[in-house]
Amino acid sequence: MYVWIWRHLPGNAWVKALVSLLLVLGTVYVLFQYVFPWAEPLLPFNDVTVDNGMPAGGAMTEWR
Amino acid sequence: MARTDRVRGRIAATVSVIGELLITAGVIMALFVVYSLWWTNVLADREAKKQGNQVRDHWANAPSGPGALDTKDGIGFLHVPAMKNGEVLVKPGTGGKVLNEGVAGFYREPVKAAMPWDKRGNFTLAAHRDGHGAKFHNIDKISTGDPVVFETRDVWYVYKVFAELKETSRFNTDVINPVPKESGRTAPGRFLTLTTCTPVYTSDYRYIVWAELQRTEKVDAKRTPPKELR
Repeated sequence: MYVWIWRHLPGNAWVKALVSLLLVLGTVYVLFQYVFPWAEPLLPFNDVTVDNGMPAGGAMTEWR
Repeated sequence: MARTDRVRGRIAATVSVIGELLITAGVIMALFVVYSLWWTNVLADREAKKQGNQVRDHWANAPSGPGALDTKDGIGFLHVPAMKNGEVLVKPGTGGKVLNEGVAGFYREPVKAAMPWDKRGNFTLAAHRDGHGAKFHNIDKISTGDPVVFETRDVWYVYKVFAELKETSRFNTDVINPVPKESGRTAPGRFLTLTTCTPVYTSDYRYIVWAELQRTEKVDAKRTPPKELR
């Protein structure tokens, strides 16, 4: 997969390395900016309140 | 012969793609940990600082007297010397949106919190243990007898910790009752309750700290903190 991408990048090895770096940075940006903030409330790692199973304040806080 | 080679090549290619996907998944999970434990703190601390400054500006500029309290921006600052995390802005509500701004929230449900200036009741707060400012990360460093100070525009409320509950069910809403029985108190009083999740990095249980009001001090012109914070 990554070999395939590398082969299809334009230019010589240096240009390819630079483009790869930009691709990696872009992916990390998309993950931090959009994917992780979306995924976080769906995962049960960060509930801090006591509640009776009802979502508090409109946020999804419950995993039974 | 050539045919088995091609089959073998295809199998090898498939295996290598699966391998690369697994490695990618591992890297993404590692990045998620970095995001949760570091990046959300950066964002939340920035936001909390901005909002805290806003509240202090309002206090400095707004006319004093009753009715001037602005609860939407935040009602004051929590100081817990034992947690070594400076001041924590307190805002209404315990929903994810509020707490993710690096502040502590007072409960509006399932049991409504009393305010520190109420004659009786329980001022109940929640904040993150990890990520999003992690304002109650060091809650386990608090022990009985430690001071907890809540600062409003005009008054310092000085509380003293009298009980901790190191692990309880997350459905145990009794801990935020006006008279929290598990703290050992049976008569109404002016209590403060801190709640967060435990053990660290998970949300399996809740950690509770109870404190009781000792005295109040009027805020002077220089905002000299009470002796517990000096």
